[in-house]
Amino acid sequence: MTTVSTSAFYERATQDMTALRARAEGLQAAMGRGERLARSSDDPVAASRLRGLARGDSFAAIDTTNANRAVSDLTLTDTALGSFAEYITRAKELAVQAANATLSPAQRAGIGSELAQLHGNLAALANVRDSAGHALFGGETAGQAYTIDAAGNPVYAGTANAGELPLGEGLSVTRGLTGPEFLNFNTGSGPTDIFAVVKGLADALQGGATDPAQAARDALGVLDTGLEAVTTAQTIIGTRLAWIDLTTQRRDEMTELRAEEQAEIGGTDMAATITRLQEALTVLEASQASFAKLSSLSLFDVLR
Amino acid sequence: MSSDLLSIARSGAMAARIALDVTAQNIANAASDGYVRRSVRLAELASSGGFGRVGDVSLSGVRLDAVVRNVDAFRQTEVRRTGSDAARASAELAGLQNIETATEQTNLYPSVVAFEGSLERLTADPVSSSLRAAVLEDARTMVRTFNIASQSLASAGEGLRFEASDGTAQINLLAGELARVNLRLARASDATSDQSALLDSRDNLLQRLSGFADISTTFSADDTVQVRLGGSAGPQLVMGGTATSLAMTTAANGTIAFTVGAAPATLSGGALAGKAQALVAVADTQTGLDAIANTLIAAANAAQSGGVGLDGSAGQPLFSGSGASGITLALTTGAGIATAPSGAGANSRDPTNLTALRGALSNSDIAGKLDSLLFGISSKVAGRAVTNEALSTIAGSARIALQSQSGVDLDAEAVNLIRFQQAFQASGKAMQVAGTLFDTLLAIR
Repeated sequence: MTTVSTSAFYERATQDMTALRARAEGLQAAMGRGERLARSSDDPVAASRLRGLARGDSFAAIDTTNANRAVSDLTLTDTALGSFAEYITRAKELAVQAANATLSPAQRAGIGSELAQLHGNLAALANVRDSAGHALFGGETAGQAYTIDAAGNPVYAGTANAGELPLGEGLSVTRGLTGPEFLNFNTGSGPTDIFAVVKGLADALQGGATDPAQAARDALGVLDTGLEAVTTAQTIIGTRLAWIDLTTQRRDEMTELRAEEQAEIGGTDMAATITRLQEALTVLEASQASFAKLSSLSLFDVLR
Repeated sequence: MSSDLLSIARSGAMAARIALDVTAQNIANAASDGYVRRSVRLAELASSGGFGRVGDVSLSGVRLDAVVRNVDAFRQTEVRRTGSDAARASAELAGLQNIETATEQTNLYPSVVAFEGSLERLTADPVSSSLRAAVLEDARTMVRTFNIASQSLASAGEGLRFEASDGTAQINLLAGELARVNLRLARASDATSDQSALLDSRDNLLQRLSGFADISTTFSADDTVQVRLGGSAGPQLVMGGTATSLAMTTAANGTIAFTVGAAPATLSGGALAGKAQALVAVADTQTGLDAIANTLIAAANAAQSGGVGLDGSAGQPLFSGSGASGITLALTTGAGIATAPSGAGANSRDPTNLTALRGALSNSDIAGKLDSLLFGISSKVAGRAVTNEALSTIAGSARIALQSQSGVDLDAEAVNLIRFQQAFQASGKAMQVAGTLFDTLLAIR
């Protein structure tokens, strides 16, 4: 005969109901948190993946800051390049006027002085600052992009290359242009820069040349080449901005993917959890009811 | 004819009384820990006829043969064995969970990621003093988190050792008690209630002992028990009336070992074994954490020395000290972070060395190593949780199996109560009959 001792009955009931309660409470906690994992050991693989995803998220936020900074620097560069183009165009207009043989030397000298003024403006523009207060066209220099030498000519003082900004996932963008990259160019007679061309023309018109009209005509072609260098640089900047747009879009997509994966492996599936909680509660209720029934069943109550 | 109806009835009434007492005792102890259901074994008291008196009737009633303890030694052994395993698993799991808390809840991993992130942010403007300060503060947070994680681990280890030393004291207490019970058992007479109570306390002590360590038991004919620790070949803890004392020794790395007398004891079950295993895990984790901290120190300091700070002076070490508990932040200002390559002047915006620093950190894979350390611990915890659950279930069913065999069934006792009450009443009736018979004889005139 199998005997069922009273203590065994109570012990079994305790064990079963404790297990059910623990399950119900675990499910309830998962719903309350909205996350499936309370600690890594709940699902080590998922927790490790979640750590990686959180790391990616935190880097993506920094990459976004870097991208924004690059965009503002490049936009500043673009604006400055626009101003350069305007000044050069103005210099071309002045050169066309000066090329007119009917002008008097005094009128030419007037044009020359305006060109000298333009030269000063160009030098000042080459030293504008970026969003962080550093020389926009000086590469990675700590000081000015151009210094003015004793003869009044701007001399490039920056580094050879503009710095690169990381955009995440190994991608990067060159954050700007150095002055020589668009202000220096080659003419038929060798390399020169826009400052030298404008200054040379100004000097020529102000009495430095025997045939100022011819000098102005010569300068026209050179100025065209200079303008072309600037507009080419504008195209480059536009391409870089487009590249940043592309990486930003990619980063957004990656962030979305990560969020999706986080929700998938770390989030609570509400419908499933609620169903399982209901199931656990139903079973718990049933076992409590049957326990109450069985425990009230004592022979001592029947015997009088 | 030597029978006496009155004394037969008296013996019957007495036997029923004893049976009722035993039943009442069972009912009273239905919830007592370690109580084993008793039952009475009655035997007829009669003498057979001797020479020349064949056919003689000689009945003397009933006597109490023995109070039987309904226990199954095998199931008891099972309860001890499975209980040992479950106690070991649960102690180990608790220790591992402490380790998990120490390494994970201190947010060590996020602090390393934050440090890497602030270095990346610094590339945008290496001369910005606010970005440099942010790097320095993130480094400080990371260093302190390493310190805290290491301290938490150390205190988890201390807690485990404290509990283990308490467990050792408990084992010695129980072993001493068991030796005393052994002595009294050797003197108690067979099948008495005194012996039953001693056996109960012997089994109870053995069961409690098995919760602390895995024991192997040998019972001798006089019901005394010989206990060995850690398997049948282990050192002897209790033999007859002598208990050998158990001692715990702590190694330099915080792990513990046990000796009984002078002999080493290898425990494979019980809470003490679990704590010893958890302490090994604590030492391993500490070693792993120290290695990661040292890698970090070496990588960062080497990269620092290859560059120059904001003022153009040679880069100084970023961290000092060694190990997770010893790592400290050596730089005092953000200007000391060597972002520019050596040879660059003051205020250089050249981030070459910063890139090298970031490269050194990502090459030494600090975050990845930490992740795998955390993964190792958490998967250990997850695995042990499953083992623990299974072993508790097994131990629970072994306990239930023992209890359903040796525990008190109140319904059965209620039936016994009625049965022995009726037996008592019947014996009373027999006495009445004897009295009537006597009266009948007296009434003859």
